[in-house]
Amino acid sequence: MLSIENLRVVYHDVISILNGISLKAASGEISVIIGANGAGKTTLLRAISGMLRMFDGNIIEGDIKVGDFSLKGLDSTDIIKKFGLTYVMEDRPVFWYLTIEENLAAAAYSRWDRTVKADMEKVFDYFPVLNKLRQQKAGYTSGGEQQMLAIGMSLMTQPKILLFDEPSLGLAPLITEELFRIIERLNREGMTIVLVEQNAHAALQIGHRGCVLENGRVVLEGQAAALLENEDVREFYLGAGAKERKSYQDAKRYKRRKRWL
Amino acid sequence: MDFIQTIGSGLLIGCVYGLLGLGIVIIFRASEAFNFAIGEFMVIGSFLFYIFFFDLRVPFILALPLGLLAAGAVGALIERLSIKPLLGRSPLSMTIITLGLASVLRSSVQLIFGAHSYSFFIELPNASLEYGDILFPSERVWAGGLSIIAFALVIFFIFRTRWGVAIRATSESQSKAMAFGIDARFILLMVWGLSAMCIAVAGVMISNFGALSYLTGIAGLRAIPVVLIGGMDSIGGALIGGLIVGLCEALVGSYIEPLGLVGFKDVAPYLLLLIVLFIRPYGLFGTVRIERV
Repeated sequence: MLSIENLRVVYHDVISILNGISLKAASGEISVIIGANGAGKTTLLRAISGMLRMFDGNIIEGDIKVGDFSLKGLDSTDIIKKFGLTYVMEDRPVFWYLTIEENLAAAAYSRWDRTVKADMEKVFDYFPVLNKLRQQKAGYTSGGEQQMLAIGMSLMTQPKILLFDEPSLGLAPLITEELFRIIERLNREGMTIVLVEQNAHAALQIGHRGCVLENGRVVLEGQAAALLENEDVREFYLGAGAKERKSYQDAKRYKRRKRWL
Repeated sequence: MDFIQTIGSGLLIGCVYGLLGLGIVIIFRASEAFNFAIGEFMVIGSFLFYIFFFDLRVPFILALPLGLLAAGAVGALIERLSIKPLLGRSPLSMTIITLGLASVLRSSVQLIFGAHSYSFFIELPNASLEYGDILFPSERVWAGGLSIIAFALVIFFIFRTRWGVAIRATSESQSKAMAFGIDARFILLMVWGLSAMCIAVAGVMISNFGALSYLTGIAGLRAIPVVLIGGMDSIGGALIGGLIVGLCEALVGSYIEPLGLVGFKDVAPYLLLLIVLFIRPYGLFGTVRIERV
């Protein structure tokens, strides 16, 4: 169980991004986080995975816990080793100038056991596309292949909890679908997953629970299926509002309603 | 005959310059910072070797590795004190730190070892090559050979070992590396240590041509045209750049300087650099960035 308690995060000591977020991601479930640009989704994942300091961010209040252990103040390298929590950054975090195999080897750097080779083959089993490209530089592969490689790299760290930051970003719908099937499969095999997505519809469909972030706060939370039905979510994130043209008066109402609370 | 002699000496010294360039390039790749304290790293490396070899009378075969390890440790220590606090900041601030570092280290060396020259002569098995009129003195051959060996070892380390993969990954992006559990700070430490060792080998070899003093470090400035000609982020480019600068110096030294242009030898590499940069702004082998269209 990953729990976030009243978390407040500030960048450069002045820019407040998360203003007291509380969340729970149950083990073995897919928790979906949706929200507009700038809502704090990426910052939340950075805070959980110990990457904040790389971006000059700071947790000034609250706590992050896996079970009973606090992750606060730990580095990403410790968090990966001790808690098996790996963060797949947005925008396909692969090393462009390394080959696919070297990428996987780099991701296994923190491990010293003898199963690295076997794990690498397992990744190639998961993603047969990558098998043909082993010696290819990752920078020259397609976006979908890079995203698969990124997921494969995260698997090389032997994770129990995976944080995905917009895996569908900039990918064709078919590839996105395939990626989501892979994420679902990882989850069925016992992985706890936190999925941040702009593609709210697809994400909520595979998710168990979901929540909506806005201005660094959780404004809505519930079963993924219930969120899919929620009228506000449908209007703001699924683009399924009323089709007819709206008058200016309605537009004002839109603003008013978007304040949620 | 004269021509071959010139080319040969140029190539031999070029190998040493290449190693100096390598010291710059690996730091630049890992952190995008230019290490201006290279001359001081050279002097420190040479003095550490001096202590082991001349003061403690350790045999050369042991003194060199010991000196290098000590130089690597000093390099790593310097990184810990001055560079590590800047992780995640602009590479420019690291570059500026190294400028200050250069002054501090130069003065410290002067404080500890004094301003006079130390005679520096390593007795090595005679390796001089002689074909008729052509003669390459032993210490030059040793310098070229040892530099090439050191270069090969570093390349092996970077391209064939797990740390090498991690170094190359970190070079590309510190944050990506951190996200996959590679401790970027430790990698930076390793890179600075490695770079200090490369520079120390070059320093010992250059000191062996004459004497060692705190001003020997000025030769380290040769690394600037080397890496800029070869390409700031190209390891092979460092070697090629080194050879080019070595050749350029030797040719100018034996054909142009006698015409009355004394000291032109030191300027020529920079003129060459200017021409190269006009034609290829990233240097001869600077990485062509992978771009997605």
